[in-house]
Amino acid sequence: MTVAPEGVAPEDVAPEDVAPEDVAPEDVAPEDVAPEDVDLASVDLSDRTWWTTPPAYRHAAFDRLRRERPFAFFAEPDIPGIPAGPGYHAVTRYADLEAISSQPAVFCSGRGAVSMQDVPAELHEFFGSLISMDDPRHAKIRRIVSKTFTPRMLERTLDSVRAIVDDVLARTRAKAEAGDGTIDVVADIAAPIPLRVICDMMGVPEQDRPGVLANSNIVLSGGDPELIENDDPLTAFLTAGMEMAALMERLAAERMTDPRDDLTTALVRSEVDGEKLSHQEIASFFILLLVAGNETTRNAISQGLLALAEHPDQRARWAADPGLDRTGVEEVVRWVSPVTWMRRTATQDGEINGLRFTAGEKFLLFYAAANRDPAVFADPQRFDVGRDPNPHVGFGSKGPHFCLGAHLARRELQVTFRAIFDQLPDLEVTGPPDRLASSFVNGLKRLPARLGGDG
Amino acid sequence: MRVTADRERCVGSGQCELLAPEVFEVDDDGAVRVLQPEPDDDAAVRDAVQQCPTGALSLEG
Repeated sequence: MTVAPEGVAPEDVAPEDVAPEDVAPEDVAPEDVAPEDVDLASVDLSDRTWWTTPPAYRHAAFDRLRRERPFAFFAEPDIPGIPAGPGYHAVTRYADLEAISSQPAVFCSGRGAVSMQDVPAELHEFFGSLISMDDPRHAKIRRIVSKTFTPRMLERTLDSVRAIVDDVLARTRAKAEAGDGTIDVVADIAAPIPLRVICDMMGVPEQDRPGVLANSNIVLSGGDPELIENDDPLTAFLTAGMEMAALMERLAAERMTDPRDDLTTALVRSEVDGEKLSHQEIASFFILLLVAGNETTRNAISQGLLALAEHPDQRARWAADPGLDRTGVEEVVRWVSPVTWMRRTATQDGEINGLRFTAGEKFLLFYAAANRDPAVFADPQRFDVGRDPNPHVGFGSKGPHFCLGAHLARRELQVTFRAIFDQLPDLEVTGPPDRLASSFVNGLKRLPARLGGDG
Repeated sequence: MRVTADRERCVGSGQCELLAPEVFEVDDDGAVRVLQPEPDDDAAVRDAVQQCPTGALSLEG
């Protein structure tokens, strides 16, 4: 059996043309794609378009890689303006990923964690901030923010998260009722919730938020041509980064004279080793929070709702039992793996689980693959909202770079899914998603749905 | 059972607090504080120690 990539461009299909029974034809059930069906020679993890193939196909390919070529080597993609490097090992086994992630001195982040290519240090620190930094500096800066993201602190923001979610869902309902009932899960629900939560935390004024959304889309577009429009990717990234940095400079200056109870105020006041953070450090941290706080949670919401539409038994089970909110969200994060990979670079020669490597070799940690490793997860291709234990690496594996926003994301997602079950029980996905062509972020650009259908 | 924490290794991810909030708390300095150094033997506490992303927690006994 062969599986074709999405054959129908989304713009060719108006939502009303898609009957509910046609739901997501590209989302072939995992059991329908055997790993043996995958032509391993055709798999190129550096090819952006490969990432728009159906998830079942991609996971079947990961199964083969994990079994047969656990450190498969790939050439780096060509990006205009950046020289292609020597290539990278694709790490797909859970145990290998954990071993690498937990040895940050041997496998560092400081040579770039979010790009396959080596880019100038200023560039990757600007866009990656903490993610592309090593200890001891990483630990010092992370402390400043980790105080704000503790479980205890986040309990205090929970009421405002609930208010935001209720408001977004009410607007979605109003939009559906004012029109023909159709909505876009991404634009109407999944995008505005995390954007408003993180912008509230940072104190970003209302009028600046559409710009933040547009720029964070570009930074995490993975070069998807729809989001980059006329520019070449590098220029578009830089312009988006500059605009967000300019916003931060303005907000930081305002907070210096007019402190408020927000994260931006905490950043401008904080000191590391007796020194204040530089404007550039604050700006890149701000970009990290906005981008990381936005896209990842957005894709967990949209892809989680897609997974629930594809598994109606799991949706019914979770909707009926708030006691499943915790395990349900963990399973969504495992299933979706919103961030597909992070990179590490060897700082010395060595050997890891049978692979000899030399200093400078690159490793891409494929969380999406580790999260379906049968050595760790029973029946890994089954979406089970009650899965427990669920030691997924959707927030990262062992090591100092474990997701700073994990608690915020968990609480946000728990509140969001419960509110959707309660307030939009009639939400019905009506067509296939439009997938972001990015290897890095497992994103949806659109997911057509309907409210108030006859069931 | 005795729990100790290395606050220098801790990055304040708070995984322990999520699993065993009566024993661990990330404090105002952004690092873990052990609220109960000698908790009852408990699977959640063992999980918290084992799952700490930076290996900042240790268990004796």
